[in-house]
Amino acid sequence: MLVEGNGILSMKLRKFLLFAPTALLLTPFFLAPLFVIGAESFSGKQGAFGEYVKVVTDPGIRTVLYNTFYVALMVTFFSLLIGYPIAYVLARLKGRWATIGIFLIFLPFWASTVIRSFAWMILLGRNGPVNSAMVGSGLIDEPIRFIDNGVGLMIAMTYIMVPFMVVPILNGLRAIDVNLPRAAAVLGANPWRQFLAVTLPLSMPSIAVGATIVFVTSLGFFVTPSLLGGNRTVVSILISEQANRLLNWPLASALAIVVLLLTIVVFALLRLSQVMSRRRGSARAGALA
Amino acid sequence: MKTLEKTLWSTWSRFLTCLVGAVLIGFLVPILTVVLVSFQSKSYLSFPPSDFSIRWYEQFLGNTDYQSAIWNSLAIGAASATLATIAGVCTALAVIRAAVPGAAVVSVLSVAPAVLPQIVLAIGLFPISVWLGLQGTLGAVILAHAVVGLPFPFITVCGALSSYSSRMEIASMSLGANAFQTFRLITFPMIRAAVVAGFIFAFAASLDELVLALFLSSPTTRTLPLLLWEQLNFQVTPEIAAAASVVLAVTSLLIVAAILLPRLGKDK
Repeated sequence: MLVEGNGILSMKLRKFLLFAPTALLLTPFFLAPLFVIGAESFSGKQGAFGEYVKVVTDPGIRTVLYNTFYVALMVTFFSLLIGYPIAYVLARLKGRWATIGIFLIFLPFWASTVIRSFAWMILLGRNGPVNSAMVGSGLIDEPIRFIDNGVGLMIAMTYIMVPFMVVPILNGLRAIDVNLPRAAAVLGANPWRQFLAVTLPLSMPSIAVGATIVFVTSLGFFVTPSLLGGNRTVVSILISEQANRLLNWPLASALAIVVLLLTIVVFALLRLSQVMSRRRGSARAGALA
Repeated sequence: MKTLEKTLWSTWSRFLTCLVGAVLIGFLVPILTVVLVSFQSKSYLSFPPSDFSIRWYEQFLGNTDYQSAIWNSLAIGAASATLATIAGVCTALAVIRAAVPGAAVVSVLSVAPAVLPQIVLAIGLFPISVWLGLQGTLGAVILAHAVVGLPFPFITVCGALSSYSSRMEIASMSLGANAFQTFRLITFPMIRAAVVAGFIFAFAASLDELVLALFLSSPTTRTLPLLLWEQLNFQVTPEIAAAASVVLAVTSLLIVAAILLPRLGKDK
C-alpha cells in the first residue's frame, strides 16, 4: 500500500483519532455520570452501604421494585403474545402487503411516547370510550378506574412496546430457511407440527432478543407510569422524586445503580443464552458429522 | 385426513392474517382518538365529541409556550442528531474498517446509551451539568441527547460498512487518494443511506425524550414532550390534543416525504 512519508505510526494515530468524537462525548456525558452516581450512592449519612441496605429492607421501596418488575414482566408477556403473531404473518407476506404491514406497525411508533400515553388516558378515562361502551352495553355497572388500578398502565405500555418485539422476531423468522419447514412436511409433519417443531424453536433466539429489549425498556419506563400509573409507582418515578423533590441524591443514586445492575444482568443472561445455544448447535452439528 | 388438516390449517392461517390486520389497524385507533377529541368545542374532554370546532387549534397557535417548546425541540433534535451522527460514523469506521484495538469495548459503550434507563443517566448528568455551568441551557440537553442518539447512527453505519468489502477503499488508497478523499468519494456514497437513517433515528429519539430534558432544562429551554407532559400532569384539556395532533400531522408529513423523496429522485 502506498503510504505517505510520515509512516505507519501516524497511520495508527489517525485511526485512533476516529474514536475522538465518541470519546469526547461519552467520557464526560456518559461514563462520568455513571461514576458520579456510583460515588454518590455510597455517600449517605448511614455509612457507605446505608442506602443499599435501605433499598433492600425498606418495605415501601421493595413494593415499588416488585411493582416495577411485575409491570415489566406482564408487558413483556403481552407484547410477545401480540407481537409474535404479527411478526409471523408479516414474515409470510410478500411485496406490497409486507411493506404496508411494516408501515402500519411503525406508524404509531413515530408518535411520541407522551402522545401515545395521552391517547390511552383519553381511551381509558372514567368517561372515556372504553368505559362508556362497557357501561352502555351492560357489561359493567360503573366505570373501571383503569388509570388507578395498573391495568391501564400495562395496556398503554404494551401498546408502546409491541413494535420493539415485532422487529427482532420478524427478522428472525425471515432468516429461517424456507426449506426446513418444507423438509418437515415431506417427512410427514402437519402444518401445526411444522410450526411447533421447526419454526418456533428456530425463532427462539429472536424471541429472546425481543423480550430482553422490551423487559429492559419497561424496567426504566418513566413517561407512561407517571401519567397512567396512578398510585402504583415504578422505580424511575421513585428515583426522580427522591432526587427532584426530596433532594435525597444518595438514595436516588443507589436506586439508579440497582436499576443499572439489573439492566446489565438481563443483558448478560441474553448473551449467555446466545453463547449456550450456539455451543449446543455446534455440538449437535459435530455429533451429526 | 390429510386434506382435512390442510383445510383446517389454511382456514386458521387466513383467520390469523385477518386478526393481525385488524390489530394493526386497531393500533391506529388511539392516535386517531387524539385527533378526534381535538376538534371538539367543550373545554373538557368528552367522548364522542358532540360538535366540531377549531377553537383549540386557534388557542394552540396563540400559545407562546408551545412555540418556544417546538423551537427548542427542533433545535435540540437537529444539533444532537448532528453530533451523534458525526461521532457514530467515525466510531463505526474505526470499529469496522480500521481494526483499532479496543474496538469491542468501544462498540459496547456506543450501544449502551440506547438500553440504559434514561433516569439513570439523568441522575448522573445533573450534577455534571451544574459543575460545567450548563444546567438549564440548550447545550446541556443537546449533549445529553447526543449521547442517547449515538447508538442509532453507529448501528446503521456499522451495518452498511459490513455489507461491502473494504477492497474498494484499499483500491482508492493504492491509487493515491488520501484517507479523506477516499472517505468523501468512496465510503460516504456507499453509506449515505445509513447515515441519513441514523440521523433520522437520533433526531426522532431526541424529539421523544423526556426524562433527560426534565432534569437538565429550565422553563425557557423546555422541550415539547416536556411541556405536553407537564400540562397533562396538571389538567387534560383539548388544547393538548390539538397540539399533539399538529405534531402528529407534521411527523406524518416528514415520514411520507422521507419515503417519497428518494423515489421521485429515481424517476428523474
